[in-house]
Amino acid sequence: MRIGADCGQAEVLAGAIALGEAGDAERNAYREHLSVCRRCLVSIGGEREIERVMSVIGQAREQEQWQPQARSLFSRAKSRGPFLRWSAAVVAALLVVFVARQGYQSHPVVVNSVTPPAQTSVTAEQEARVVAALGTQAVPKREHHAESLAFSARENAAQTITVKVSFNAAGKPTHCKGVHHANSQKLVATLCDMVMRGR
Amino acid sequence: MTTSTRTGLDDYVAAGPTAIAQGRVEALVIEHQTKLARYLRRMVGDAETALDLSQDVFLSAYRMLCADPSRELRVGWLYRAATNAAISFMRRRKILHVLSLDRDLDGSSWRIDERGAASIDLQAALGRLPSEQAAALLMTSYAGYSSAEAAQILGTTADAVRQRVCRAMKTLRHVMNEEQSS
Repeated sequence: MRIGADCGQAEVLAGAIALGEAGDAERNAYREHLSVCRRCLVSIGGEREIERVMSVIGQAREQEQWQPQARSLFSRAKSRGPFLRWSAAVVAALLVVFVARQGYQSHPVVVNSVTPPAQTSVTAEQEARVVAALGTQAVPKREHHAESLAFSARENAAQTITVKVSFNAAGKPTHCKGVHHANSQKLVATLCDMVMRGR
Repeated sequence: MTTSTRTGLDDYVAAGPTAIAQGRVEALVIEHQTKLARYLRRMVGDAETALDLSQDVFLSAYRMLCADPSRELRVGWLYRAATNAAISFMRRRKILHVLSLDRDLDGSSWRIDERGAASIDLQAALGRLPSEQAAALLMTSYAGYSSAEAAQILGTTADAVRQRVCRAMKTLRHVMNEEQSS
């Protein structure tokens, strides 16, 4: 087996060696390649180096002590920590946009107060409707599950974000701007980006 | 979409699971849950998420078997579903990382019950890998599948799996060398 200076093929061989799937022919071909390719020699290394790197995974597997707790098929963990808190803020913002769209009378419509704590009673159905209405997948689907909304309103109480969204005659968002967003420019920018992309 | 997922789930709960599907999924859970959850945990780096995702996988299996109890369901299907779920999760997490002001999502929980230095190094390196490479590496060297089996699960070729393993290994090596020199 000869691979010459083909580094892509050398990667395949090195992968085979790493997984213990290479025979003598493959090993010889890899050695031969290393003798002419300094780049692979430096970036991948020889067989001993491959073994050293792969031993880390073997060691981790052998030392694995984590025993996942058995769960009922239909139960969910109560809290998902900061991940949820922020997704909830996004959901809250999207909900207000949705309400604004539903209540559209004349354009532009201005939405001018988004306060995450006020949204703690939002139902999963409402969330799903918001996301569906905006046609965005940006909010993770698991956060639509009902239990995920029992999140920490108190912790978010200090964080009030105000966003103005304008809509055209068709009810599509045309402009989004943060109005009051102390230390949250990035969040507002991302929220607006999601709103606009959800058109 | 979520609405249909919830409605479907509610329907199943209300109607009661079919005995066949329940029995088969229970057997799958007993046999594969630990291994699958560990694989997922390595993929996403967080125990709670790994449990959620593995639960999703078994729930999907359950729903599928409710719809067609005679359907053959192999362990490869579970890993494929788990890998897809993990990759989707990591994509969503990327979005939420932009939103989050709370950067330290799960590092602490990982380190509490993983005391081996090698484990921590590995997880740090896995975090740097593209999800396809992480999946190939973990499915083979961690979950114990051959490159051919992993290829079937991941919907690619054995050579592609080997190449991904090699590229993942390069990153691992880089991280290991970085940590050694620091």
